[in-house]
Amino acid sequence: MATIEAPFGDLDHLIRKWLPSPEELSIAIRDLNHFYGDGDARKQVLFNNQLEVRAGEIVIMTGPSGSGKTTLLTLIGTLRRVQEGSLRILGTELLGLDPHELIELRKKIGFIFQAHNLFESLTATQNVRMATELLGIPTGTAEPRIESILKRLGLGHRLHYKPKSLSGGQKQRVAIARGIVHEPRLILADEPTAALDAESGREVVTIFKELAEQQGCTIIIVTHDNRILDVADRIVNMVDGRIKSNVLVQKTAILCQILQQYPLFKDLTPSVLASVADKMSLRRFADGTDIVQQGEVGTDFYVIAQGVVEVSSSGKVLSHLGAGQFFGEVSLLTEQPRNANVRAVGDVACFLLNKEDFQAVVSASESFEQQLRRVLFDRQ
Amino acid sequence: MRVPLAWKNLTHDWRKLALALAGVAFAVMLMFQQRGFNHALFDSTVELVRRLDADILVFNRARFALTSELRFPYEMLERLESQPEVASAIPLYLENKLATAHRDGLPARPIRVIGIDLKKAGFEDATGALAAQEAVLQRPDTALLDRLSKQYYGFDLSPLQGEVQTGELAGRKLNIAGLFTLGRDFAHEGNLVMSSDNFRKYFGYRSAEPLSVVDLGLVKLKPSVSAKEVVSELQSRLPSGVMLMTKQAFIEREIGFWARSTPIGIIFAIGAAIGFAVGVIICYQILATDIADHYREFATLMAMGYQGGYFMRIVLQQAWLLAIFGYIPGLLLSWLLFQFNSKWTGLLMNLSWDRALLILVLTLVMCSLSALLAIRKLFAADPASLF
Repeated sequence: MATIEAPFGDLDHLIRKWLPSPEELSIAIRDLNHFYGDGDARKQVLFNNQLEVRAGEIVIMTGPSGSGKTTLLTLIGTLRRVQEGSLRILGTELLGLDPHELIELRKKIGFIFQAHNLFESLTATQNVRMATELLGIPTGTAEPRIESILKRLGLGHRLHYKPKSLSGGQKQRVAIARGIVHEPRLILADEPTAALDAESGREVVTIFKELAEQQGCTIIIVTHDNRILDVADRIVNMVDGRIKSNVLVQKTAILCQILQQYPLFKDLTPSVLASVADKMSLRRFADGTDIVQQGEVGTDFYVIAQGVVEVSSSGKVLSHLGAGQFFGEVSLLTEQPRNANVRAVGDVACFLLNKEDFQAVVSASESFEQQLRRVLFDRQ
Repeated sequence: MRVPLAWKNLTHDWRKLALALAGVAFAVMLMFQQRGFNHALFDSTVELVRRLDADILVFNRARFALTSELRFPYEMLERLESQPEVASAIPLYLENKLATAHRDGLPARPIRVIGIDLKKAGFEDATGALAAQEAVLQRPDTALLDRLSKQYYGFDLSPLQGEVQTGELAGRKLNIAGLFTLGRDFAHEGNLVMSSDNFRKYFGYRSAEPLSVVDLGLVKLKPSVSAKEVVSELQSRLPSGVMLMTKQAFIEREIGFWARSTPIGIIFAIGAAIGFAVGVIICYQILATDIADHYREFATLMAMGYQGGYFMRIVLQQAWLLAIFGYIPGLLLSWLLFQFNSKWTGLLMNLSWDRALLILVLTLVMCSLSALLAIRKLFAADPASLF
C-alpha cells in the first residue's frame, strides 16, 4: 500500500496554525451581538457572530458598506463598548471592562485609519512620536525606530516635513508608521493601501507580514484592494451583520495542494476542490485512539494528513492506511452503521468533512462521485 | 523631548495666531482701561494728600471728604505743637466751591485753591516745581497754576519762562507766575497754589480772620515717634471736634468714601467685568475652533490611548499661551492709551506693577475659564467615528 508524499513542512506549520491553543488566540469572539439606538429606535447591527483569530494572523475583512464590519472593527479596537456576547482580545474580556482598562488596552493596538489624521502642525517624525511618547518609550530607543520605519516606507528624505509638503500617499505612510511604531500586538487598518501606489502598497504589506511573522502581531485589514489579498491568512466576509464566510486562506490553499495529490480529488475543478477544502477541519488523534468504531452511526469523512491508522473488523486487522488515504465514506454514502474499526497507530492528524458537507459535495460533483465510486470499487 | 503639541498647533498658522492674540489683547486692554479709570479716580482724589509731607493729618471730625468745606480752629494746631511728640503742626487752607477763576472776558469757573506756606510745610509736586518757585509765591496776589487744569479758565498752560498771566480769582486780580503739576479729579477741574498771606486776601468771607479756620493740619512728629502709636494718644488730648489720622489712614478713608458713597467704583468694576466676559468669549471661540479643526486628529489620539488629562493639559496650555502672549501687546497698548488719556482728561493714569499683575492674573483666569468651556467639545470627539 503506497502512501502519498504530502508537503509535510507546510502541513506541520498549518496544523500548528490551525489548532491554536486558547492562549494563542489574539481575538476570540463568541455570540457577539450589537445594537444601535435605544427603545423603539434600537436596531441590531451584529448578529450572533463567532470568530477566532490566532496571534500573528493577518485577517482581511470584506463586505458591503453597512454590513457591520466597521462596527465589529470598532468593537475589537475597544472604541465601542461590548453590549452582548463575549469579545476577548489579547487575553482580556472586553464585556464589562472598566473604561480605564479599556483605554489602557488601546496602547497595545495600532490604528490605521482611512484618512491619515495627521497634525498639520507637526512634522512626520513628530506625528509618529506621538505614539511612542504615549507608551513612554525613551527617546534613545524611539528616535532610531521612528527613523528606520519612515525610511522603510520611503520617507527617509521627508522626516522633518509637515503634512502640507507631503503627497497623499506619503501622508498615509506616515500614518501607517504612527500605527505600527510602538510595536502593537494588534493592528486594525482601514483601507491602508487605498491611497498608495503599487510599490508603496507592497512595502506596507511586506511590513505587515514581518510584524505578523516576527512579532506575532495580529493584523486586521478592512480593504477592497485585491492587490493585497495574497497577504491574508484569513478572509472574513460580512453581510448584514453576520460573518458569512470565514476562510483560512492558507489552509485552503495547502489543503487543495494536498488533496490534489490524492487520486480521489485529482480530477476536481479548483473551485470544487476549494469548497471541499474550506469545509474541512483538522483534528488530531493520540496513539491508540479509536477514530471510528464499528457499529456506530457515521458522522464524518476522514482524509489522513499525518500518521498511520489500523483498520480492523471484529478484532481482525484488515489493513493499514497512511497519509493521503481516506476512510469513513461508506457509512455516509450508504447511511449504514460503521462497518469497521479505525484506530490511530502513533499520533495521527486527519482532515474531517462532516456528513452534510460530504453529501453536498458528492451530489454537486458528478465526477467526484464517480471518482469515489471507482476508488471504492478498486479497493474492494 | 516631548512633542509640544499645544505650542505647535497654536503657532502653526501665524495669521490665525495674530487674530487670536489681537482678540485677547483687546480684552486685556478693556480690563486695563476700566481698572485704569477706576484707579485714576481714587489716585487723583488723594494725589494732593499723597504729596503732603506729614505724619498725621488733623481735620474737622465732620469732614467726610476733602471736598466738604468743614474746618477747625487754628488754635488746635497750636495746642498740638505744644505736645512733646510733635515737631510741627502747619495749616493747609483749601477753597473750592466759592473760588472761581477766569481770564478776562471768559466766564468764572470754580477752581481749587491751596493756601500753604511752603517754607514751613512740606508740599512738593512730581516735578519739583513748587520748591523752585517758592520765592515767586511770596509776591502779592500771586499764585501758581496746575498745568493739568482745564483749558476753559483761559490760562496758557505752557507759558514762556517767567511770563506772568493775569486773571481774576474770587473777584480780585490774580497774577499767575508759573506752573506746577498736581492733576484734576472728579470734583476739581483745576488747582492754584498760593501762600497763606495771599490766601487770606482772597477769601475774607471764610471768617473774620480767614486763617483762623483750617482745612487740614499737617503734623510732623519728632524723630523716633511712630505716627501709628501716637495718633490716638494725641487724639485724646484734643476736643472730639477734631480728628487725627495717619496720612495713610486718611488716604484710605478718602478712597473709601469715593468707593462706597458713589457708584463710580461699581461702574468701572462692571466695565472690567464686561472686558473679562468679552475675553472669555473671544478665547473660547479661538480654542473651540482649534478643537473643531483638529477633531479627527484628537479622536485619533483617543484611539491611540491618550486620556482626558492629556487633552485637558493641551487645551489649558493653549489657553495660557494665548493669555501670556495676548497680555503683552495688551499691556503695551494700554500703556500708550494711559498716556493719551492722562493728557486728555488730566486724570492720573498710573500703571503700577501690582495693577499690571492683577490684570495678568485676571487674563490667565479668563483664558482658563474658556479652556474649561472648550474642553467639552474635545471630549465629545468619538474615535469610533474615524473608521
